[in-house]
Amino acid sequence: MNFSRGLAAAACVLALAPAALPPYAMTLLTEALILGLFAMSLDLMVGYTRLLSFGHAAAYGLGAYTCGNLLLHTGMPLLFAVPLAALFSGIVAIGVAWVCTLASGVSFSMLTLAFAQLFYAVAFKWTTVTGASDGLAGIPRSPGPFGIAIFAGKAGFYYLVLACLLGSLLFCRMLVHSPFGEVLRGIRENEAKTLSLGYNTRRYKIAVVAIAFALGGLAGALYAPFAGFANTELLFWLFSGQVLIMVIVGGAGTLVGPIIGAAFFMLVSNLLSSWTDSWALFFGLIFIGFVLFAPQGIWGLLSGTGRAEGRERVRWRFLKSTS
Amino acid sequence: MDFAAFLVTQCLNALSQAALLFFLGVGLTLIFGIMRIVNFAHGAFFMLGAYVGYSSVAIAGNFWAALVLSPLLVGGFGIAFELGVLRLLYRRDHSAFLMVTFGLTLIMGEAIRLIWGVNALEVRAPPALSGIVFILDEPFPLYRLFLAAAGIVVAVAIWQFLERTRLGLLIRATSQNAEMVHALGTDVRLVRSAVFGIGCGLAGIGGVLAAPLVTASLAMAPTAVIDTFVIVIIGGMGSFLGSALGALLVAFVQVFGTYYFPDLALALMYLVMVMVLVIRPGGLLGKEA
Repeated sequence: MNFSRGLAAAACVLALAPAALPPYAMTLLTEALILGLFAMSLDLMVGYTRLLSFGHAAAYGLGAYTCGNLLLHTGMPLLFAVPLAALFSGIVAIGVAWVCTLASGVSFSMLTLAFAQLFYAVAFKWTTVTGASDGLAGIPRSPGPFGIAIFAGKAGFYYLVLACLLGSLLFCRMLVHSPFGEVLRGIRENEAKTLSLGYNTRRYKIAVVAIAFALGGLAGALYAPFAGFANTELLFWLFSGQVLIMVIVGGAGTLVGPIIGAAFFMLVSNLLSSWTDSWALFFGLIFIGFVLFAPQGIWGLLSGTGRAEGRERVRWRFLKSTS
Repeated sequence: MDFAAFLVTQCLNALSQAALLFFLGVGLTLIFGIMRIVNFAHGAFFMLGAYVGYSSVAIAGNFWAALVLSPLLVGGFGIAFELGVLRLLYRRDHSAFLMVTFGLTLIMGEAIRLIWGVNALEVRAPPALSGIVFILDEPFPLYRLFLAAAGIVVAVAIWQFLERTRLGLLIRATSQNAEMVHALGTDVRLVRSAVFGIGCGLAGIGGVLAAPLVTASLAMAPTAVIDTFVIVIIGGMGSFLGSALGALLVAFVQVFGTYYFPDLALALMYLVMVMVLVIRPGGLLGKEA
């Protein structure tokens, strides 16, 4: 099954879902798709460029707060507010990435974490914009332009999310198969070599962080009107860790894998939380199991390790145990 | 209150805070120096230390017993985890460690909630230390003075241990060139297990010592782990002296920041970290950029 046929089939199934699923399941599915978009955006950094970000919640939170403020205070229609929030998140990311790319490796990860926590700390105190610990509540799905109101409904909003996810997936796929994507892979495999080939790797890294933040911001911007609220939890480091789990469990460097990882995360945490109070315990165990025994992720397991076609294998640069 | 008294008490406050942070930071930095891994679960080990300390006090009825028992148990658990899980991962990328220890954080947080419950548990300081002393006519809790002293004592002890003992020598050698140490006939894997155990044990001591101040609660782990990362990054990953410096810097920023800029206090620490990294990407005393 090649990529475009598989994608078309998946899109058809997902498009028919509102007809078959009960409302509660639709809510879960919509959230899973939003998280899928978020996880996929992180995959551009983690899977393709080997930029391990521990602060991707910053993108989500930026998008959510920006979109929430636009919808609450300007009366801007949903269809304009969402892309604008994504754009804003991407622009902020350029500054963040400029600082973070001064370092590399573990220091890069920790800097991203520091920035996300900085945003968290600011959001906690800047009451007029973020509502502090109460957050923003009652975020509307404003209609328009031209009185388009179908996205205000449950099914309509689901289609909006689905369209954003599929559009972003196609965009990312195009991106990673472009010359730009090849340079990213070069950075992943051997940054020094890529640099000596004449590529300004830092500029490429800043660009990929900006794109990842814009798409992550898009996910956050969709979440705010979906949930109707935005709070500081969206910026918390735990959320950054969770999205990283989604990427790894799904399969880093595959784009589709993280989406599946996000769906898996939603499904398992919901099943576990309905069955036991201690879902985090089992979740941690499942996660450790994946890292130990299936580092290629769910998508890697599904598509089989032997097949190279249509799939990107992340070959982590093995850190020799003794170095 | 006159300014001199204010300054002295605030500085002592910051010193006691720095001592706690140092217990966390030095463990993390030692582990990183030897194993090149970032232990995300360090805050969870700290929290475990506080809870084990609570139970030890409850059973043995003595804070000093807790101070001995808790690091031993927490360190032992750390060694078990190293042997059982981490050892399988040394040929993998360091992201694998971050993720496994993140999973461990989730598990430990939940296990602690199941065993000790959701309520914060109060641990009393020993009677000898629960009083107040007057410094320049200002009341100051004796326990905080004890913390500052304990921090200095442990810092000197670790420094001497690294400089003068055989295991200390092996640890320093392993962090410089593990392959060579291995070739010279030392089982580097044992050094790694020992260091992971020592690091976790130090986090355990920090947990016990912090418990009388902040009570043992489930919120300990996330705050601790973030603070620890900030310290170690400011000081430079893998640098012993750097972790002490980072702990002091962060503690002073926290204490004086809370006083002078209460609204910015949370953000201030991260701002300092970003500034340090912009100037020196490897941290103040870090080797690599």
